[in-house]
Amino acid sequence: MSIKKNIELQTIISGLLVSFMTITLLSVLLGLDYTDKNLGSSLIDINEDLTRSANVVTSVVTYFRGLDTLGEVTILFLSIFGIGLGIENSPHMKNILSYDNTLLKLGAKVLFPLIVLFGFYIIIHGHLSPGGGFQGGVIVASGFLLMLLAYGEAFHLNHKIITVFESLSGAGFVLIGILGVILGDIFLSNMLPLGVVGQLFSSGIMPIIYIFVGLKVAAEITVLVEYFLRTEDVG
Amino acid sequence: MIGLIVLGAFVSLIIVAYLVVMERDLASSVILFMAFGLGSTILYFVFSAPDVALTEAVIGAGISGVVFLVSLLQTQTKESR
Repeated sequence: MSIKKNIELQTIISGLLVSFMTITLLSVLLGLDYTDKNLGSSLIDINEDLTRSANVVTSVVTYFRGLDTLGEVTILFLSIFGIGLGIENSPHMKNILSYDNTLLKLGAKVLFPLIVLFGFYIIIHGHLSPGGGFQGGVIVASGFLLMLLAYGEAFHLNHKIITVFESLSGAGFVLIGILGVILGDIFLSNMLPLGVVGQLFSSGIMPIIYIFVGLKVAAEITVLVEYFLRTEDVG
Repeated sequence: MIGLIVLGAFVSLIIVAYLVVMERDLASSVILFMAFGLGSTILYFVFSAPDVALTEAVIGAGISGVVFLVSLLQTQTKESR
């Protein structure tokens, strides 16, 4: 009886909390002043002079909000680290979803280089076309996922190389930020020549930051998928 | 033409979302969830957000489905009443 009373009290309290938060959010949203000159349009106005990039989303992610991207990458690293701690690592591991099929193996062998190439294209052209580090990194990781599904235990990931890529790209991101302090004025400020809009070698440090972010995301998502696909060999 | 695509994507997204919740077999529910990711990819692209559409195509219709399926296979695939 007392347990039932507790649950009812919790339900009432959580309902009150949710309605309070909803009313607060609604009042904040209704009180906002939607003028013509908001943050988005002013960012689009100053984008071409400051960064010379064709993609405003990329300049927000890597230049105007570069520090937030560093925090995002750190959060991703911490979550993968936690999963690695939680999933045990024993030599008697078996791929849970792999299925022995010759046609699938042949198709995966043909498609894997194309998928990885497309992922790196998306990463490198982040400041020219839609996409960027996160999107391209996840596409590269999906290529590795295809190989893991098709080949099972026969496809070995070299964890040393993945660790080297992951830590070097994280360190490179911070190093570029510190170089911005030394050569420019603030953390992650631009110290390279800007170039012409629409060219591959343009817009300063933005492509370099996105290459680091892409390598880091690709390594982390690949390791995450590999951890999830393994299970203890019971039979 | 664009309006027809948007309308079709919206209606199919609502139907697929209902099926995801009501499906008893959780493995089929995961597959329907991946179809939901495909529909929202089309919607993002039509609404001129290709950055988000790329992410949704890989994460929503690919990797999250694999993660859900593996978690299901390690536990049980039927939802108890």
